[in-house]
Amino acid sequence: MSDADSPDDRGVPDGERGDANEDFEPVEVFPEGDLDLRSGADSCYKCSTCDTNCPVAEVDDEFPGPKFQGPEQWRLKRKEDSEIDPSIMDCSNCMRCDDACPADVPLSQMHNEARAEYVDGQMSKFSVEYWRNRVLANYRKGAWLGSKVPRLTNALANNGPLRKLGEKLFGLTAEREFPEFATETFREWWEERGGAATSKKRAREARADRGGADVQSEDKRVAYFHGCYANYNTPEVAKAMVRVFEHFGYEVAVPEQGCSGTPMFANGMLDDARRDAETNVSNFSDLIDEGYDVICSCTSCSMSLRQEYPELFTFEGTADVAAHTYEALEYLRIHEDLRGALDEAEVGGEGEELAYHAPCHARNQGLDRQAVELFRDLDGVGVEDVGDSCSGISGTYGWKAEKYDTSMAIGEEMFAEMADADGETGMTECPTCAMQMEHGTGYEIRHPLELLEDALVAD
Amino acid sequence: MPDAPTVLVIGGGSTGCGIARDLAMRGLDVTLVEQGNLTHGTTGRMHGLLHSGARYAVSDRDSARECIAETRVLEDIASHCVEETGGLFVKRPEDSEAYFERKLQGCEACGIPAEVLSGREARQREPYLAEDVDKAIAVPDGAVDPFRLCVANAASAENHGARIETHAEVTDLLVESGEVVGAEIEHGSGPGTRSHRSPGATERIEADHVINATGAWAGGIGEMAGVDVDVRPSKGVMTVMNVRQVDTVINRCKPKGNADIVVPHETTCILGTTDEEVEDPEDYPEEQWEVDLVIEELSKLLPVLQEARTIRSYWGVRPLYEPPGSGTADSEDITRDFFLLDHADRDGLPGLTTIVGGKFTTYRMMAEDVSDHVCDRLGVSATCRTAEVPLPGSRDERVLDDAMDAFGLSSPVARRSKQRLGDRASDVLDTDEPNPVVCSCEGVTRAELRDAIGQSGTDLNAVRIRTRASMGNCQGGFCAHAMADELHPEYDPEQATAALDELYQERWKGQRHALWGEQLSQAMLTYALHAATMNRDRAARSAAGSRTEADDRTVDFEAFDGGAPGGD
Amino acid sequence: MAIEQDVLVIGGGLAGATAAISAARTGADVRLVSSKQPTLRHASGLIDVLGYTPDGEGPLADPFAALSDLPEGHPYERVGRDAVEAGLALFDEIVGNTYEGNHTERNALIPTQGGRVKPTARYPASVSAGLASDERDALLVGFERLAGFDASLSAARLNATGVPFTARGAAVEFPELSSADPKVTRFAQLLDRDEGVDAGRGVRREVTERVTTHMDGEDRVGFPAVLGDDHPEEVRADLESHLGAAVFEIPMGPPSLPGLRLEDRLYDALDEAGVRIETGNPVVGYESKSRGNGVETVLVDRTGSTVPYGAEQFVLATGGLVGKGIESDRSGVEEPIFDCHVAHPSDRYDWFADDAFGDHRFARFGVDPDRELRPRDAHGKIEFDNLRAAGAVLGNYDFAAEKSGSGVSLATGSHAGRLAGENT
Repeated sequence: MSDADSPDDRGVPDGERGDANEDFEPVEVFPEGDLDLRSGADSCYKCSTCDTNCPVAEVDDEFPGPKFQGPEQWRLKRKEDSEIDPSIMDCSNCMRCDDACPADVPLSQMHNEARAEYVDGQMSKFSVEYWRNRVLANYRKGAWLGSKVPRLTNALANNGPLRKLGEKLFGLTAEREFPEFATETFREWWEERGGAATSKKRAREARADRGGADVQSEDKRVAYFHGCYANYNTPEVAKAMVRVFEHFGYEVAVPEQGCSGTPMFANGMLDDARRDAETNVSNFSDLIDEGYDVICSCTSCSMSLRQEYPELFTFEGTADVAAHTYEALEYLRIHEDLRGALDEAEVGGEGEELAYHAPCHARNQGLDRQAVELFRDLDGVGVEDVGDSCSGISGTYGWKAEKYDTSMAIGEEMFAEMADADGETGMTECPTCAMQMEHGTGYEIRHPLELLEDALVAD
Repeated sequence: MPDAPTVLVIGGGSTGCGIARDLAMRGLDVTLVEQGNLTHGTTGRMHGLLHSGARYAVSDRDSARECIAETRVLEDIASHCVEETGGLFVKRPEDSEAYFERKLQGCEACGIPAEVLSGREARQREPYLAEDVDKAIAVPDGAVDPFRLCVANAASAENHGARIETHAEVTDLLVESGEVVGAEIEHGSGPGTRSHRSPGATERIEADHVINATGAWAGGIGEMAGVDVDVRPSKGVMTVMNVRQVDTVINRCKPKGNADIVVPHETTCILGTTDEEVEDPEDYPEEQWEVDLVIEELSKLLPVLQEARTIRSYWGVRPLYEPPGSGTADSEDITRDFFLLDHADRDGLPGLTTIVGGKFTTYRMMAEDVSDHVCDRLGVSATCRTAEVPLPGSRDERVLDDAMDAFGLSSPVARRSKQRLGDRASDVLDTDEPNPVVCSCEGVTRAELRDAIGQSGTDLNAVRIRTRASMGNCQGGFCAHAMADELHPEYDPEQATAALDELYQERWKGQRHALWGEQLSQAMLTYALHAATMNRDRAARSAAGSRTEADDRTVDFEAFDGGAPGGD
Repeated sequence: MAIEQDVLVIGGGLAGATAAISAARTGADVRLVSSKQPTLRHASGLIDVLGYTPDGEGPLADPFAALSDLPEGHPYERVGRDAVEAGLALFDEIVGNTYEGNHTERNALIPTQGGRVKPTARYPASVSAGLASDERDALLVGFERLAGFDASLSAARLNATGVPFTARGAAVEFPELSSADPKVTRFAQLLDRDEGVDAGRGVRREVTERVTTHMDGEDRVGFPAVLGDDHPEEVRADLESHLGAAVFEIPMGPPSLPGLRLEDRLYDALDEAGVRIETGNPVVGYESKSRGNGVETVLVDRTGSTVPYGAEQFVLATGGLVGKGIESDRSGVEEPIFDCHVAHPSDRYDWFADDAFGDHRFARFGVDPDRELRPRDAHGKIEFDNLRAAGAVLGNYDFAAEKSGSGVSLATGSHAGRLAGENT
């Protein structure tokens, strides 16, 4: 006997297909807000290229490495398996594995999801670690407060005994000095200077100087995502960005914005990241509609807007923002004859030598070599690449007392290369890499935009 | 137990192992012989569905009732082999409403818990279900690991004094004075076989009763004694996906049809199947259209399958049986019920019983029936206990969770080991030596491999089915050689090499049906590693244990670079 | 358009790097773009030129003698013996004394991970003391936490191969490791830094102490190829002086440190040659010239926006099936960027052989070039005037069976690069 004897197998007429209302049924694809990334393991070759690129696995053999954390852990998962291996918290979110993988496995996305699941399900919300991480991840909030009284904050933050207490009570390493808050934030400067209207005027003047025809330009508009650090701590970088772009005739806008989310991803605080991301996507996609492109001066911020947002969020405009976001130098290289401009320019001084470190998040965007390549043609300065190692700090990672040693062990190679390089100034795009470079070598660290400003913007 | 009657069971599949366990527990002196590995035949080539019975609820309600009863038993006695996934019978818009209703009524009539879900509710359970699926029936289908279940039955039989011989092919049945009195077997001589018998040796095994539990091969065994057993083998493809797209068994709710089921199995999903009658269960075409068909058809339920990676396909042969004279034309219409052939009554040949037909889910019940019958014939009175006594490894989850923390394994690896080993996990993993993960696709550590080697010797395919090592997406590319390393020094280099070659070829065989996209790229990487980096393709021919051993002596080492002058 | 070069090389593996350096040496302004890290680290780091003929004859002591018999269409047949020699000469220059084997045209036989020997033309200096034609007895040493290399099994297999020496094997625990599954980079890093174990004794000394107890007069000791990443020479010299014996590495499968080290040297050479390098974004398409059949620009994907990169000449060195220079699906095989013709049987069951080491058609998938390495369509017509192909994206050869992967990459890479540079 078989099921074949069913007399009625004519199917249902097309007009009655299913429940008509289901056409806009909002299918809750991932009911608990979790992404099912098991199919991401389909691309994996098991070749371990990711593992050979992992700076943490190289110095800590207890860390099972990105292949395990990513495609292996996900592939071994079943729906009811809620437990995530705690070692996910030892991943520093450098994302080098993404860049390495020859098969396009979404490694960092898997890590981000796994970390969020771990923090959500397995980390005690009453633990010091949780709150320490939460505070680190939400640097912007603290920075906002601190910047109100910058001198006091700076004095308190770098008070030795207080730092020791911070390590004991809060798990923040006492080895590092807190970054100083600027006495005037970038946004304060920007408002003071007259905001977008002034920028528009300056850009127009620059265009007129350069030959006039496109004085009325609708395309030369950029919206600046300055991030937290350039606003509160290194406004000189942000100012350099504004001046350089205006020099090339771009009108700069500086919309309201939150944190890019990088430190939140790295600490598994996806809900916090989602809140800020929503603001950012909404504000910037509005400007994109008006013809603006989005420019970042921090490579972790651009990484976040470009890659992590579309991997993790689905707000309207997310893909648009990702497709229109660029790192500052990258944008100018594509749209301007930057090479020609630098060829003709020079910077004053006695042939300054800069030891350049490419941040991991620049590497991920294919930008790790652009600074060295660009400044090769600039007279008066030498830029030397200090190699492809990771600085080891990875944002908030190196600030955690229990991660400090790992962070410094990873950084050792870079410190040695910097010491070997000529000159005693460093250069990088990433603010936390800069902290680590300074911490390990005592060098002053500059941003490529500052050098570009020196070279191109006559003041 | 010198006075116990002796029984020879032929066939190391689920039924044979089940019978061996049952009879051994009843105190009989049992020997089981299997021509290959345990599960070599149909058992090792099924999709791993533990039937709730819903599949038969319209067409064959007796089978359906048996299934639900046996599923409950297995959940109890073999918890480490069973995953209670639940199942869905999914209706697409073009599928018959009336049939859906009949399915539902059938389930109710057979005592199979069934719940109707809207399309939306079904998608909440399984997000990848197609958006136009309009409703579904949820039933208690499950997934079962046939390898582990079979091995656990064999282990239990051994614990009760049975002798289990794998790679022992029956070459003849011994018939004396019109009665079957045993069999002649030949111990395997192929590479990588278990080494405790001398390969090629023949052995006469005498028995008071012989049980032919060889499924699709039953006709051949019957022939040896001159009896006619008309098994109609029917092949079906199973296509293995790289990951689990679903965690629930997905059936299409329509009357008979090819390509209508997806079973989550361990780390993978298995798509099935086709149903084509074949002449010879050992030799039949494995065809491209079958693989394409299951992918295309099942993509209608789970569109994600269209682009998903498959890692291999395999075919199984159903041992369908029809009593003489039924004359069913289409193999799909042949009953899935089982038949006990008492050759004394049927053919006037005492001493032999054949069991054919049936399905995996009810293997234990079939074993019980056969055992009852044989005990009756042999005048033994003992009752069946297989439904009550748990199989080796079936565990108490809570005790295990605590114990697993101690072994320094990463969470998913520990979880997997525990799922595979059940309550043996602590014993197996408790080692003082470094215990690296050897197969990272499936999270199998050295200790687990060594345990399996202890059970099955140099047969790495038997090690594979016990541990799942080499069954992940690289299909052994990164671990087959490391698995073979574990055989040394207990076994000599020639055996290790032969075992590696055999495993590697077996992995290749199934992978051939998945060679496009990611799996073709993977195959190229594996080929490059084993041929270019290790030179296993050319040098292997001349290395230890191969067919052309003479060749290697012809390599003129002096003709090659002996190092730079003055170099080190 | 701001990003414009004389020569643009797509792909950053051995073939791409060789092509870029060759092109730069003609005086051209060269940019190399690659999407991910090259598959060099999947390979042994050995430079195979030709170990076996396509018919399986071998191992060949003299790879050059066999070149003239290769079938039409084989990359070596396309470029000729001079190009093979030019590619090797360029390689020798790039790697300096970190590689050996250039003192002879003969192949060397190298012990492999599984205890076979394999013919190759150039080998890292770290491998050189392990040659199978060397008559010194050898102790092979494995590490217990490193699966995939069982030293005593490898030694037994080597002996069975008839090598003119005796090999023995031993396993030791590597010091300072706490996890069961350390990565190969961790072994290398501990040796590189020679971190202290106790009483100021470093890892290198500790390893050799443990090995010494297993030695029985052997003159050379082989280890799996994890002896340092940044300072392999220093690590090996230290181990040799502690052991009083020569030390060699046995190449291992992915991830391969000799492959990683070679990658580092290639990128240094690219920098020295003034090549502009960009890694991290894939080339996803191209635009044709408005006239003629040339490529005007290639399109580089930067997270959703595509940026055109212009050049006069282009070299396609994107790799084969593994590097994704060749892609496939259930219905066919393609070269994804330019859609160059890739010959393949229409029935996918003809893509492979039933024997795992049979004559696999898939291993020979790739584009079919003319003698200047310009890909040709199904009718033998050149697809683009200014596009050349090099390395594993080329078809008509099975590098794994022939042991010819690196040699083909060097020969075709240097040939394509030189021609591209000369045509600007």
